[in-house]
Amino acid sequence: MIEIKGFLETSFLDWPGKICSVLFLPGCNFRCPYCHNHPLVFHPGQFASISLKQILRHLHSFKGWVDGVCLTGGEPTLHADFPLLIRQIKERGFPVKLDTNGSNPEMLEKLIDKRQVDFIAMDVKAPLDSFSYRRSTGLSIDLALISKSIEILKRGKVEYQFRMTVVPQLHSEEEIQALGEQLRAGRRLILQNFNPENPLDPSLKETNPYDPKFLKEMEKRVQEMV
Amino acid sequence: MASVIEMKEERKDLKEELETTDMALFVRTSEESMNDWNRQRIVDALIRETYIDVDTAKEIAQEVEDLIVTSRIKMITAPLVRELVDTKLVERGLEQARKMHTRLGMPLYDVDQLILHPNKENANVPHGPEATNLTLAERIKKEYALLSVFSQETADAHMRGDIHLHDLGFVDRPYCSGQSLEYIKRFGLSLPNSIAMAKPAKHPEVLLAHMVKFAAGLQSNFAGAIGWDAVNLFFAPYLEGMSDRELEQLAQMMIFEFSQQAVARGGQAIFTDLNLYWEIPKHFENVPAIGPGGEKTGKNYSDYMKESQRFAWALFNVFMEGDGSGRPFFFPKPLVHITEKFFQTPGHMDFLHHICEVASEKGNTYFVFDRGETAKISECCRLSFKLDQTDLEDAKEPWKMRYCALQNVTLNLPRIAYLAKGDDTRLFSKLTEFIEVTVKAHLEKKSFIEKLLSIGERGPLALLAMNRDGSPYLRMHRASFLIGMVGLNELVQVHTGQEMHQSRQAFKFGLKVIAHMKLLVDKLSGRHGIHFVLEQTPAESTAYRFAKLDLRFHSPRSGDIVKGNISKGEVYYTNSTYLNNSAVLNPIERVRQEGLFHPLIEAGALTHIWLGEAKPSRESLANFVIKTFKQTQNDQIAFSPEFTTCNACNRTSRGLRSSCQYCGSTEVDGITRITGYFTKLSSWNKGKIGELHNRYRNQAYIEAQEGETVLKAG
Repeated sequence: MIEIKGFLETSFLDWPGKICSVLFLPGCNFRCPYCHNHPLVFHPGQFASISLKQILRHLHSFKGWVDGVCLTGGEPTLHADFPLLIRQIKERGFPVKLDTNGSNPEMLEKLIDKRQVDFIAMDVKAPLDSFSYRRSTGLSIDLALISKSIEILKRGKVEYQFRMTVVPQLHSEEEIQALGEQLRAGRRLILQNFNPENPLDPSLKETNPYDPKFLKEMEKRVQEMV
Repeated sequence: MASVIEMKEERKDLKEELETTDMALFVRTSEESMNDWNRQRIVDALIRETYIDVDTAKEIAQEVEDLIVTSRIKMITAPLVRELVDTKLVERGLEQARKMHTRLGMPLYDVDQLILHPNKENANVPHGPEATNLTLAERIKKEYALLSVFSQETADAHMRGDIHLHDLGFVDRPYCSGQSLEYIKRFGLSLPNSIAMAKPAKHPEVLLAHMVKFAAGLQSNFAGAIGWDAVNLFFAPYLEGMSDRELEQLAQMMIFEFSQQAVARGGQAIFTDLNLYWEIPKHFENVPAIGPGGEKTGKNYSDYMKESQRFAWALFNVFMEGDGSGRPFFFPKPLVHITEKFFQTPGHMDFLHHICEVASEKGNTYFVFDRGETAKISECCRLSFKLDQTDLEDAKEPWKMRYCALQNVTLNLPRIAYLAKGDDTRLFSKLTEFIEVTVKAHLEKKSFIEKLLSIGERGPLALLAMNRDGSPYLRMHRASFLIGMVGLNELVQVHTGQEMHQSRQAFKFGLKVIAHMKLLVDKLSGRHGIHFVLEQTPAESTAYRFAKLDLRFHSPRSGDIVKGNISKGEVYYTNSTYLNNSAVLNPIERVRQEGLFHPLIEAGALTHIWLGEAKPSRESLANFVIKTFKQTQNDQIAFSPEFTTCNACNRTSRGLRSSCQYCGSTEVDGITRITGYFTKLSSWNKGKIGELHNRYRNQAYIEAQEGETVLKAG
């Protein structure tokens, strides 16, 4: 059974319009230099596991308040028994949101077909070419998988959203636009500002994020692409 | 009133040979003239001011004169003479006479300090000559109140810190009030003592001008907040045909007018609450609307929903923008009433998102929950009044809807627990005792204000006595008397060993205490025929004062109980019935648990959700607000972010920082909500600073951004 390494009772940001609980799962197949959850990726042993039973009991006391559960990581779809975890949560009547990097389209497709997820937020890291993706994820990534996941979401069988975390050193204005062009997802693409607090690559600590106003404008521009 | 007696240099040598009655002393009087020394003046003063007999008065005058002569003092001041007389009264055991003959005033050193250093008791008072005037006057009136308005028993209870009598420096005014715009719409602005009488406004800008002036007039007649009911609705008949731009311009004028009234009394912004509604409140639906010129427009208020909503929307556009440097407006405070009808009114979700966005970005919005059939009007930090049947009758003629609370008295709850020494019976009987003192204080203030009001329009409270519609502006029979509390959490901690958030039993005990208070207060209302209500005291300085006094009188026990940093003197008790503000508690839990107290606290209650730097999405906030309305008993919530504003580059950023995020300057001010309003940290008292350090900002509950915090919280 997957170990759950973190539990946030309520979040006002992770599921648009909802109050949700967030479960953090360990391990990741990407090495994004700006990752701020990296202790979870590399040293999951540092964190005590929380039993699902305990979490569900806890969620019970927020009945009527918590609208759903967001599963994030790391990369949740790395775990073969992830669908089992989802099923247990859904059985309790909670809608489920999944955060993924899109590297496991097969699992995404199955989950969608079986109506096991209610919302999928996929992180898109860079324009869809192997050089850019490699720079942003720190590894060689099979882009076909990423493209496949994008295609699956765009079928629209489940509510979805693409999120791009923007780091000035990695993502120029042109590159953000390029990804916008490739996705043409309209308002389903959102830009997030990079948080220099504790990135995987310490050299990024010195990087100043984009001005929030600039980011808002960029977002508006890419959202006009449909 | 400085009168100085000086010995005139050239006649000093003659002094010894002369009879003391011819003593060559000059008295500099308060009329700014000089009088010769005259012993008879002492006699006159004693006869005029006290009840002692002439012979004793003469004896005392003689003794004082002898003392002055033999002491060879070169310069004596009138206060000194007066105190010398007082010592003679004390020697004779004439305690009552001494009290009557005493002098109010301040030491030179204190005045010097006051003029040079800012006042920290109320963060809403800036520092300047006007503010100093206010503080000086307050000091004297405070002494006057404690000596002359209140009985010794009441005054001592205040001095000891069993209770706190709020705004003693404003003893000659009622505490706070709620207004209806309809009054000035109908009668225009014709204030007693003013030179020009203005007829009812014909244009919205003029109505606004009347509103602002009237507010300033009211500020000089009340100690605290001025609340305005259904502002957007009552403006609506003036707004027909206005474009969005014009409307926004008007909204901007209103907010800037009220936020920049810092040029008013004592340089203190008028503590203004704007009550706003998205729907047409049920009790105003079929009320004939008053429009330009004070005339009935021929329509009912339900016909003005569109204008009313557009104006509310425009006001929040302005709040969203913030002031010229992007800071949140400190005043006026917008209170949006969320009712059953709100949810049946078209467009309510868009409006809710709009005001939630303001709550997340700037924090201004207060969400006031009026469930079921209750209608409420809010005025002070969190003070709101539930309208009862007679009020709803009044609603048909809304200009009658003017309310006030005459005074606010707060109980030091932890003190009761120290005194009870763990014994339940003792605790509740002490609580009763404290409340009885409070009631006495209220009755004393009431009779004092009644005395002032009885002089009518020629008296000091002329504005409140003015009679335009068949009853005086201040409707005494509708006045409330507030009984507040500080430190329920610490009372429970002392008595049960646990704070309220730490165990169910502890929390339940807290509820029991407040339920007991409510019961008692209702009983006493019946007995005295006046309306006592429980209130969550804002306690901006009281939470600090009680903690300091208990450290003095109830140590070492209190040392483990007071919150904050003792070594720095930044100590406080938890406000009213709140849970410990540093407790790591889910906002849902806080809203739910604190909400359980709210039905018992009739005069209004509020739960703060501190946001710090987090900016929750407006949709999720709206979601939270709806659930709070539907699933809890919570009366009111507000989300409070924190800001840093730079005095060098005039830009404002989120979070409290020691230097400007944009230009690096350290000339910055932190801004956040103190008790019930936003203000700069530099004006906070030590107790509140201590509280801020401990403030739990819900960082682990609002967003999943900082991985580590999140995991720890899990």
